[in-house]
Amino acid sequence: MLSPSAPMTLSMGPSHPATHGIIRINLQLDGERVVDSTVDMGFLHRGFEKMCETHAWNQAIVYTDRLNYVSAMINNIGYCMAVEGLLEIETPPRCQTLRVILSELSRVEDHLTCLAAQVMECGALTAFLYTMKAREYVYELIEMACGARVTTNWTRVGGLSMDVPPDFADAIKARIPSIRIVNDEFNKLLTKNRIFIDRVKDVGCMTKEEAIDWGFTGPLLRATGVPFDVRRDTPYLNYDEFDFEIPIGSNGDVYDRYVIRLFEMEQSLQIIEQALEKLPEGPVNVDDMSITLPAKEDVYGNIEGLINQFKLIMDGHGIKPPPGEYYSAVEAPNGELGFYVVSTGEDKPYKCRCRPPCFPFTAAIPKMIKGHLVSDIVPIFGSINMIGGELDR
Amino acid sequence: MDWFIIIASMVKMLAVIAIVMGLATLLTWVERKQSAVMQDRLGANRADIFGLRIIGLFQPFADAIKMITKEDFVPPFANRFLHTLAPILAFAPVLFVFTVIPLGPPLEIAGRTVTGQIANINIGLLFIFAFGGLAVFGSVLAGWGSNNKYALIAGIRASSQMISYEVCLGLSLVGAIMIYGTLDMTEMVIGQSGHWFGWLPRWGLFMQPLAALLFLPAAIAENKRIPFDLPECESEILGYFVEYSGLRAGMFMFAEFVEIIFVAALFTVVFLGGWLVPWLAWDGFHFPWGGMWYLPIWIVKMLEFAAMFIKIAFMIYFMILIRWTLPRFRYDQLMRLGWKYLLPLAMLNLVVTGVVLVLLR
Amino acid sequence: MQKKVTNVTINPGLKEDIYYVEVFRGLWITNRHFVVNMWRHTLRLFGIKTKEKGAVTYQYPEERRPIHHRWRGRHRLTRKQDGSMRCTACMLCETICPCNCIHIVPGESPNPNVEKFPEQFNIDVLRCCFCGYCAEACPKDAIRMDLLEPEISGYTRDIIFTKDFLLGVTDDRPWENARLEAAYEEDK
Repeated sequence: MLSPSAPMTLSMGPSHPATHGIIRINLQLDGERVVDSTVDMGFLHRGFEKMCETHAWNQAIVYTDRLNYVSAMINNIGYCMAVEGLLEIETPPRCQTLRVILSELSRVEDHLTCLAAQVMECGALTAFLYTMKAREYVYELIEMACGARVTTNWTRVGGLSMDVPPDFADAIKARIPSIRIVNDEFNKLLTKNRIFIDRVKDVGCMTKEEAIDWGFTGPLLRATGVPFDVRRDTPYLNYDEFDFEIPIGSNGDVYDRYVIRLFEMEQSLQIIEQALEKLPEGPVNVDDMSITLPAKEDVYGNIEGLINQFKLIMDGHGIKPPPGEYYSAVEAPNGELGFYVVSTGEDKPYKCRCRPPCFPFTAAIPKMIKGHLVSDIVPIFGSINMIGGELDR
Repeated sequence: MDWFIIIASMVKMLAVIAIVMGLATLLTWVERKQSAVMQDRLGANRADIFGLRIIGLFQPFADAIKMITKEDFVPPFANRFLHTLAPILAFAPVLFVFTVIPLGPPLEIAGRTVTGQIANINIGLLFIFAFGGLAVFGSVLAGWGSNNKYALIAGIRASSQMISYEVCLGLSLVGAIMIYGTLDMTEMVIGQSGHWFGWLPRWGLFMQPLAALLFLPAAIAENKRIPFDLPECESEILGYFVEYSGLRAGMFMFAEFVEIIFVAALFTVVFLGGWLVPWLAWDGFHFPWGGMWYLPIWIVKMLEFAAMFIKIAFMIYFMILIRWTLPRFRYDQLMRLGWKYLLPLAMLNLVVTGVVLVLLR
Repeated sequence: MQKKVTNVTINPGLKEDIYYVEVFRGLWITNRHFVVNMWRHTLRLFGIKTKEKGAVTYQYPEERRPIHHRWRGRHRLTRKQDGSMRCTACMLCETICPCNCIHIVPGESPNPNVEKFPEQFNIDVLRCCFCGYCAEACPKDAIRMDLLEPEISGYTRDIIFTKDFLLGVTDDRPWENARLEAAYEEDK
């Protein structure tokens, strides 16, 4: 028999409707107030980093799809950029602009999913289904570009697996207004709704210093008022050619994160429109026979192409970056997604380390939920957008 | 003993049970379909009998069969007695309250007046509060008897929420009681007949607009539906019925649907003028722009029955609309809303009503 | 180019403090969806075509989502003009497959002009991650993933596509062929 003052232990997860992705939060409750908690992660550990060490540089791209499966394209791009940095090559302009477009589409998709899940757990199921509708539009566009909706596997080291179809730009332009309509409806349904504001305002606050100490990046860091965006501070691809705004908040609470995500979706759509305006023609792969697979005509038609194809695919041959190490980061929807790759000059990575953006957030859950009620865990957890595949790798 | 009264009561009882249970069964379908159409979906449309689908109207039957045939599971460490008792306690009170709610106008049969409610007792509204208050035991016992921490939290939430909102619910209606000067529901509706300026019906909604705005949230909170569904909160604490399965879980669900009808009917009777149709008197329509349309008495009565059910249907539509649109409150905000906003406003409403009544006298 | 920093914090004011205003605005939006969708459903019930359907969903088994022709679906092995299989058992697909789901047993080809051919070509499709590398690596255009078929499922735990199945010899789904031809046309 527990004494009345002893806190009640409640295990939230691993199978709990709010802990999507698998995670367990062990709560110590005083009534409904969280006295203390520990986070138990690792339920979805698949050994991504170890698997990379037994696969060729290009083969590992498949596994990056499964990191953040909601914005797989950005993971593909982040990994490929790390390997390209190792190889010291620069992708052609068309490839870069296409990567920007698909990155931003993925960002829209990811933010839609995150916001949808967050508000659904607060009870607004209709808003959730409206955003799912918009996400379907994005999925259709991604399917059009690469032939898959979730597991895209679209980029290759030194370029793309294939150019987008000729009607891709028109398809995006036709879809953007409908995505905007959904965002607008979503905004009107919830953003100013007092019930929703009460749920998320001043909940899960982090100060600037705390957020930096915990290693926050992305919307959660910007919500505290730090204007850090990898796209602005260390421009990659050709992000420096586009105009966009970096939203910041001032309280670092769930509401700021929500508003920032809404605002970023609109900015992403604007970047896509700018990029479609200046989409250059040309090849999408670097012109280097030791990196890019030869054109199919050459493979089927002449012996040089055939041998080139074999050389790039056979075990022990393939892409061999010079020995060294490289870290590159992209702005994933959740924050800085970094890939650190080490090469010993072989056709396989010696080490591939992924810096998942949601890991610091998840680690900070006990800090964010301390002193709040059980009900607050749900919007806080929704706002950090934990993706199991990325967190546990 | 008057055989006429007994037979009339029996007929009314059967009719009310048939109507309420039928409507509740239909509501499981309506809620699915309405939410689906709101969300650009189609909703459940697969249940069929010999390939006949009729836009999913067989779904309630499929659900019923599923619930009856599912395993009736009692968790090993649960309190068997309370676990069994809870669904009954949740379901029975919401059926009791229909004894005093008139679902139609009084009829003249064989020279006697037969009212639209089963029991024509003069404490009608108090009876509703008394039995509506009993429903809290179902939730609390379900939470306690399941021996589950989530269910326990939910049960505690349910008890505090329902007890708090009972107060607002009662006080918001006291203004209406003061105006009508009666607790009997049939009398209340009759008290709403007549028009202001010759065209605006003297419904409770227009006499007590603030009370109506306060009553609806309080009633939805009593009903434990979004945005006040803290005791269920399926994404946070899973609800007080998390350890229930089969028919017992179905009873909780069914109690919720019956309660929707109850709230809709109560709102209709107190604020929407019950069966009253604007400008319809006993002999036909009296239009405010002059002119009359004479109707035989039986058509008038039919129109009044229809008006009652249209109003109830509209309220049900509105409540389902609310349920699928809004996010839910947090526990402490719910308490704050109840005690700090709704209750003082209800008090204010009482004072204003009282002052106005005194001045008018 | 310009990257402006904007503070987007919203401080709710008096209008938000009165719950009812925004609540009714939200109700208005969902209600509009309901009315518009019901209107479309009703019109379509009476056979009047509307520009959009009342629902954005597809009624799955009867109605299928249009799939883009780039879709990476079920694998197939292609044939030469004379009907013999293109695959020469060069093992490139087996090499590049990240999840080791392709198993080839090479053998000597009956055709004197061709050196090798696969005696067995099995794809353990439950291991397959549908990355498309096999089709990309194939130097003979012998394996493709252009059957626009997203639903690959079965009732056993070992769904293995054998050579005959991949070649379409034992394909018990005749509707496949039409789609297959369509896929060919799209490529040209």
